Amino acid sequence: MAKWTINNVRMAGVSAAVPKNEVLTADIPLFTPEEAATFDATVGIKRRRIAPDDVCASDLCLAAGERLLEALGWERDTIDVLIFESVTGDYRTPPTSCILQDRLGLGEDCFCLDVPMGCCGCLYALNVGGNLLTTGNVKRALLLIGDTALRMGSMKDKSRVPLFGDGAAAIALEYDPEAAPIIVDFHTYGKGYEALMTPHGGFRRPATEESFVEEDFGNGIVRAPIHTLINGMNVFSFAISRPPKSMEKLLAEEGIDRNSDIDYFLIHQANKLIVDRIVKKMKLPLEKVPYNLEDFGNLGGASLPSLMVTRLREPLTTAPQRLLMESFGLGLTWGTILMETTPMVIPPLVEV
Amino acid sequence: MENLDKYRNIFVEVFNVPAEAVGPDFKKDTVEAWDSVHQLNIMALLEETFDVMLDPEDILALTSFDAGLEILRKYDVEI
Repeated sequence: MAKWTINNVRMAGVSAAVPKNEVLTADIPLFTPEEAATFDATVGIKRRRIAPDDVCASDLCLAAGERLLEALGWERDTIDVLIFESVTGDYRTPPTSCILQDRLGLGEDCFCLDVPMGCCGCLYALNVGGNLLTTGNVKRALLLIGDTALRMGSMKDKSRVPLFGDGAAAIALEYDPEAAPIIVDFHTYGKGYEALMTPHGGFRRPATEESFVEEDFGNGIVRAPIHTLINGMNVFSFAISRPPKSMEKLLAEEGIDRNSDIDYFLIHQANKLIVDRIVKKMKLPLEKVPYNLEDFGNLGGASLPSLMVTRLREPLTTAPQRLLMESFGLGLTWGTILMETTPMVIPPLVEV
Repeated sequence: MENLDKYRNIFVEVFNVPAEAVGPDFKKDTVEAWDSVHQLNIMALLEETFDVMLDPEDILALTSFDAGLEILRKYDVEI
């Protein structure tokens, strides 16, 4: 069972960075005005930030990381662990975390790791970073989580383009024997891996001329094998079934009352249909479920920390909060983290 | 109301058709309006009406009136 109790680790701060360029659904050339209005009302993503082609996830992560370190007042050489979570790294090799170690001016004693896990990325980074700190052998970790997911796919793919936004987040973790335990629960459904994938460009199917030949799949979906695809029905059915079951089980195992023991439920902001469905199935108190998908779309792994920055800044910086964080995404993977925070540092949203 | 009537009403509601139209022949292949949105709506109402949590495989297999019955029986719904 992939379940952990991570002791002695405190979340010291969170920041997020997004590109300045905002794109409304109506501005996406794939939609008629009527279709855009329907999309806004049903899928719920009304605007998203899109990075220019020369801005990578690492650039957004750098901006978020710089701002957070500055706000925390942490010296660069006190960071023992740097994790870069992204599926849109700078190069196939080397790991982008190593490049960011240099760009951030961190010490040569810093342990660097790339974690490419998509929408569950924040939870993976928290789990790995937290487990590295728990013994106290290392004291501080900086988690950089971000993607420029839009450009992974075809710009003629109506099933994908309007869903994603570009953005990044930074999370600071610190060894602290007084910290409340962090409960982590993870699951994998590898059988469903084809629901979210980029068929060509890896070593199973290296890129050839054929990889760039576009095919019209109907319903406004035109893409080539080099583009990332979404099988909407498979993803949807997975997202609204497996995660709620696991959450229910975890709440029961931990003896947690959803109405009184949790201050906020942070649900991965895939789209309104999915989040609403999970909220309804889980009978979650709506006032405790923040949304920001209407402004940013699906930010991949940065989705959950972006909620903390854009919707929960005041409560998280002023008082302890009990959080349930739930994510699901490529792999297919899903996971839950239960944690009790203490007042942390959250600088305002950074615009790059 | 009997479970079978409750079940039939889900299709009546989702597809806006008379109850008499809903039976073993009501399936994705024969009902033009049966798209993924309708399928997800059926699933949502099944879960709420019968207090079950379906698996992804169930949702994908939910392509006919009869298939839905089979899925519910798997969750020990007497129908």
